[in-house]
Amino acid sequence: MTALVQARDVTYHYPDGTPALDTVAFTVAAGERVALLGPTGAGKSTLLQSLNGLLRPSAGAVLVGGVAVNDETVTAVRRRVGLVFQNPDDQLFLPSLLEDVAFGPLNAGASRAEAATRSHAVLEALGLAAAHDRAAHHLSGGERRLAALATVLVSQPDLLVLDEPSGDLDARSRRRLRDILAERREALLVATHDLEFVRGLCSRALVLVAGKLAWDGALDVLLADRAMMERFGLVA
Amino acid sequence: MSFRHLDRFAQVRSPVTRVPAAGRVFGTVVLALATATLPAGAWVQLGLLAAVSLALLAIAHVPLRVALARLAWPLGLVLLASLALLVVMPGEPLARLGPVAVTAQGADRFAMVMGRAMVALLPAVLLVSTTSFPELLQGLRELRVPVAVATALGLAYRLLYLTVDELERLQRAARSRHAGGGVTRRRHLITAIAAATLGRAFVRAERTHAAMLARGFRGTLPLLHAPVWTYRAVLNVAAVSILVLAVAASARLP
Repeated sequence: MTALVQARDVTYHYPDGTPALDTVAFTVAAGERVALLGPTGAGKSTLLQSLNGLLRPSAGAVLVGGVAVNDETVTAVRRRVGLVFQNPDDQLFLPSLLEDVAFGPLNAGASRAEAATRSHAVLEALGLAAAHDRAAHHLSGGERRLAALATVLVSQPDLLVLDEPSGDLDARSRRRLRDILAERREALLVATHDLEFVRGLCSRALVLVAGKLAWDGALDVLLADRAMMERFGLVA
Repeated sequence: MSFRHLDRFAQVRSPVTRVPAAGRVFGTVVLALATATLPAGAWVQLGLLAAVSLALLAIAHVPLRVALARLAWPLGLVLLASLALLVVMPGEPLARLGPVAVTAQGADRFAMVMGRAMVALLPAVLLVSTTSFPELLQGLRELRVPVAVATALGLAYRLLYLTVDELERLQRAARSRHAGGGVTRRRHLITAIAAATLGRAFVRAERTHAAMLARGFRGTLPLLHAPVWTYRAVLNVAAVSILVLAVAASARLP
């Protein structure tokens, strides 16, 4: 399979010197669905932001489509790697949902007409067409989560990176989001503590523990090994 | 706090909202400057400009009580700054307040300052009530306001809402624990809430900025809806501007 994203010994230290990632290496192929697991503070969000170029590794490199992420390539990289943040409120800041969804295509140089057409289409696909002129604070928690997803899907990324997508969702919204993701054809990288959410959705798992990649293998194998799950801090 | 709290009449269709934001900004500046520069004693012209502002409010379907409520704070500041005029202007005493006298000339000047402030602020209230902030930024850009200034205004606007959101959360959390009894305790609580609010709002603004960068933000807020200048909008802006300038000029005729 072709490597869509390659993390080559990615190391990251916070500005105060605290290590967050330690020589993390893996690849994600086009269309692959990967769960990123690990206890709180393991470095999952830091890793996700490194893939989108928001954080630059202290050492090592991230390659997207074979191209290293740097100042010259970051704009193109962000079109290919769509990042959905943990809190949808961070991602929805414009007066209406339609404007929020169109923000990415407009930044990428799409005409207003094209951005509007694509935004309406994505909102329609996610069942949010009727809410297109509403502000984020008028949406339910589940709708906000889908809206944040829409703001990224509209740019047609090759890799969809989601940070705790099922957090604070009720059972129905959680299932709806999972069904929508299951139908997508983009590669998925889902950072989560919600093992049930990724069971059946992802085929592979990466486990981060204290900034190190502790496991890279089949998700089913991991979920079937209670002792290993306990060792990684994935179950109580 | 809603993003539509200030500009909640922006979605109301009216001849005012059909004028692109740049036209609204231009008209506001013309009306405010014409009012603020009226000479002392130009009461008729002040009344005419007030009538123009009130007519525009009515056309835009902005209720007068809403406009007056929004005027209260800035007008209160003008009031505080102008009170001294009542007693420092030399002239015929109208009333005595202890050792100082309120003069007729002082009262006249005070009334003129308050009247000009009120009429000059009305179009500004109309502008922010009928224009969404992205539209306003686009209007400023069209009027050649530097991009850095327009973007800084946009980010300040976003930070304002984030800060108020955080403040409301912290206040709810404090109230839920029956906090705030006693003056000293309340003062400490307010200080703690203010410090926590700023810290949290800063962190949240950083996260939102990261989310904007992740979707290709490069320093300029793009606008989905292009401003459309119709002949009627041009004529409306021109007619109001000419009327306002003619009224202002008439105050300076010998």
